[in-house]
Amino acid sequence: MQETVDTPQAAPAPAAEPNRRAGAAAFRPSLARRARRALAPLPWLAPALALIAFVVLWPVWEMFQTSRQHINSYGFNLGDYGWKNYSTLFADPNLGSVMVRTVLWVFAIVAITVLISLGLAQLLNRGFPGRKLVRWALIAPWAASVMMTAIVFRWMLDPNNGVVNVFLHQIGVVHDYNGSQASWLGDPTAALWWMIAVAVFVSVPFTTYALLAGLTSIPADVYEAARMDGAGKWRTYRAITFPLLRPALLVAVLINLMNVFNSFPIIWTMTGGGPDYQTSTSTVYMYALKQFNIGESGALSVVNFGVVILIVLVFLRANRSALKEG
Amino acid sequence: MKRRLAAAATLGLSAALALSACSSSSTSGSSSSGGGSVTLHFFGADYGTAGTSNTTQTYWQNIATAFHKQYPNITVDVQTIDWNDFPTKLHTLLQSKNYPDIIEGDAPQSYAQEGIAYKASDVLSESTLANLIPTFAKQGDYQGTEYGIPFTTSTRALYYNKKLFAQAGISAAPTTWAELQADAAKISKLGNSTIGYGMPLGTEEAQAESYMWMLGAGGGYVNGGGAYTINSAANVTAFNFMNTLVKAGDTEANPGTVNRATLWSDFAAGSVGMVGGSPAVVPIIQAAGKLTSSDWATAPFPGENGTVTNPLGVDDQIVALNVHNQQSAIQQFLNFAYQDTYQAQFDKEYDLLPATTSAATAEENDPIFGPFVKAIPTSSAYPTNANWSDVSTKIKQTIGAAVDGTAPATVLGQIQTFALSNQ
Amino acid sequence: MAAVTVAATPPQDQDRVARTRQKKPPTLRTVLVCAVAYLVALIFVLPYLEMIVTALRPQAELRDRDYFPHHLTFANFTNIWSTGLGTNLAVSLEVAVGSTVLVLLVAIPAAYYTSRRKFRGRGVFLILVLVTQMFQPTSLIVGIYQEFTNTVHVNSTLALILVNAGFNLAFAIWILNAYFGAIPKELEEAAMVDGTSRVGAMFRVIIPLALPGIVTALIFTFIAAWNEFITALTLTNTDSSEPLTVKMNSFIGQYSTDWQHLFAASVIATIPVIILFAFIEGKVVSGLTAGSVK
Repeated sequence: MQETVDTPQAAPAPAAEPNRRAGAAAFRPSLARRARRALAPLPWLAPALALIAFVVLWPVWEMFQTSRQHINSYGFNLGDYGWKNYSTLFADPNLGSVMVRTVLWVFAIVAITVLISLGLAQLLNRGFPGRKLVRWALIAPWAASVMMTAIVFRWMLDPNNGVVNVFLHQIGVVHDYNGSQASWLGDPTAALWWMIAVAVFVSVPFTTYALLAGLTSIPADVYEAARMDGAGKWRTYRAITFPLLRPALLVAVLINLMNVFNSFPIIWTMTGGGPDYQTSTSTVYMYALKQFNIGESGALSVVNFGVVILIVLVFLRANRSALKEG
Repeated sequence: MKRRLAAAATLGLSAALALSACSSSSTSGSSSSGGGSVTLHFFGADYGTAGTSNTTQTYWQNIATAFHKQYPNITVDVQTIDWNDFPTKLHTLLQSKNYPDIIEGDAPQSYAQEGIAYKASDVLSESTLANLIPTFAKQGDYQGTEYGIPFTTSTRALYYNKKLFAQAGISAAPTTWAELQADAAKISKLGNSTIGYGMPLGTEEAQAESYMWMLGAGGGYVNGGGAYTINSAANVTAFNFMNTLVKAGDTEANPGTVNRATLWSDFAAGSVGMVGGSPAVVPIIQAAGKLTSSDWATAPFPGENGTVTNPLGVDDQIVALNVHNQQSAIQQFLNFAYQDTYQAQFDKEYDLLPATTSAATAEENDPIFGPFVKAIPTSSAYPTNANWSDVSTKIKQTIGAAVDGTAPATVLGQIQTFALSNQ
Repeated sequence: MAAVTVAATPPQDQDRVARTRQKKPPTLRTVLVCAVAYLVALIFVLPYLEMIVTALRPQAELRDRDYFPHHLTFANFTNIWSTGLGTNLAVSLEVAVGSTVLVLLVAIPAAYYTSRRKFRGRGVFLILVLVTQMFQPTSLIVGIYQEFTNTVHVNSTLALILVNAGFNLAFAIWILNAYFGAIPKELEEAAMVDGTSRVGAMFRVIIPLALPGIVTALIFTFIAAWNEFITALTLTNTDSSEPLTVKMNSFIGQYSTDWQHLFAASVIATIPVIILFAFIEGKVVSGLTAGSVK
């Protein structure tokens, strides 16, 4: 990306005018100019900063405060609690398995989503009759709310009469309605796989579109050149398409990582995190705790917050070079 | 920019007006001792569907209007919220210090503990107080004093599908666990994926199903002295037996994840042989239109050695808050609202049972409600410990594991530990 | 490089389609591609077809084990309005439009400035913005709840507008930053030489050129706000202040789930978004193109 060279002479923003006048009156013009330069971006950035501070940073602070209070489930504050919510949380026998499950959940969904989307983007980048319709169909899960999609899937997996079971019964896979085979969301392992499938289902549209955008931005002449050199299909993909797609891929992965880590409605509406928290990720577990222990729930939020920061830092570090170029 | 922000803000203007109308009302009449006009803020659960003809909003609004005619200086501002969102919304109100004056649908103990609840005797006349059904009146107890006032109640019984019973060659409803097991096995072998016994241990109301079985084994959540006995030998026996049912395939698969609402609607659709339920199952059966009134019946819940004589009874309570000092107005309103006609009207609308003795007596011979009403005097209610609502949430979230492969003693032991350590 | 490709891609893309159309009878390959693509499309639409079918089921056939009911009823779509759905629809619109407008008002100046000027703290600002993208209200819900119930007393609609705007700001700033950056700065410099201020240049030159990017930011915010559930569930406390998502949740009742009405409401809730998408589907790809090239 081309950067504007920042020269002090460049016309300053009109809102910086008062500063300039103040600077002229000052004894040390260099200091004044520096102050002016430091403040020049403010009128442009202040609204964004204010909104972020108000809606994102303030709750972070409130959350931290809450994690050190003794608050009962009615919201009555029973006083300061020091770090007791944290010691309760870390002594919680469920925490370990919840955290491991969260990592698997995030990794599985992001990996599967990206693989499917790479293929789909390639497919949709081709010309074929009805392509527009297919693209539109892909938008459906994006346009519908995640919660709605999760509810529909729960309905389709109903052990008594869900259409998935009706179909599987017809082809002879499921023998008994209401039996353990038909109870997909009742068994923790099967439930997790179904929910991963739903999470992939709702993540694929955005990811495919992002990758599709990346694909369309690769100039055709690059391919021409490759063909002249006699490169095969797979080689071309590996040597040209994939590297050029990398920035788009990184953005897609990053956004997916965060969405999936925070994803809540899918698990909450399909299994509620149960039975016995066996399908809970850390976000779902936080919400389950919130129903009877707001303080411990706050402590878990703070831990989650730390995890997210960690993910971002690791991700930025690992992809520093890739994010800078282009 | 500021102007634009302001413009964006005005988008929510109508909602703002609506909200401020609510929140200011309860404080407007704070000069209660004087003769001026008073507004009471009532916050209750909606037992019907908001916006439709069966909303509880209408029920309370009618009472409030009639009351206002008789006491022109007292206005009652009514707000009801569907059950699903009721706890969240109520806690939001409390935490933002928008205290209602009267809350219907929540246990009183936490309010009493916080010191913001009126005693029942402060806000009800002697006669109304004496008319409350004793079993449930005790549910409002906090440290020996009654704060909560039962408003609506229900008891549980065993619903069974007579059509399926006939097909399976069973002549009468089971009275013991062994009979229930035999009957459930026969029904689940009828084919067409019929569920013998529906056991809802999902997060929705696992504490009720569990309690029914515990009572059948002579156990329960607390002992006579109010101390938790969640992992008592009797309770473990109950869950061990439930496990044999589940393992034999006499119930639905994975009961720990199945909710009451699902099984009730399956029962109404004719695919469940037996299920525990309150009178609220009746309208679901009627709406589904699959079973005629001769296709099903209710019976007392079977226990280990005979029918349970102290079945589960549930009540929803009213608690009055003292934050706005409206004692006399609240008292006048509650005495008015507890008339038999209003109790009966509520029961008819929502298929629930009354909380007053006089209204219960009147309903004793009702063909559908009768058996449920008769069970009230001996019914067992939930514990009244101050932390029961937290314990109940914990039970809902975890007890399903006890029929899902984990040893019942372990699961019940963990809940017992939780109950004791979070007093 | 980004600037050139962004401008050039959409037409080139269409050329490719046109070229295939001119070709002779379809090859086996094309048939195969079509088959796979149609199958994918079907998979993505099926759950929503099931939603519509269920919404059309009469109560008596709700739990039948079949794909289609024997009778269809439209009653679920008509009688659902008596539950006050109209009010909730209006709240959803207010929240979604309000947050979208707010996001654009806040993001455009910030994105424009960061794309045009190099200043100290620019990197920090962009990282801060990126970090906020990492959070969703879900993970901060305890804090948001405490803030808006204990300290800040505004009505829930305004609170929802603010929260939705705050959490969708990051994406808008990044995408717009990339888009503005791809527009040659000579264009507005020319305008500024003519005496137009920087603000004027932004409005007259840059914004019209960056329209696809703005549209992309717009639709992302709108959809996110329209579908938001957790904050709305936590912050609203009257039936008439609930947006649609929360209202829909109330059809999952205490004694029974009202599936037909739930899905009828879902269908109604999806329509505005589908319409919005239908209008600007093409722009989204080109808008994202800039974002990903960055």
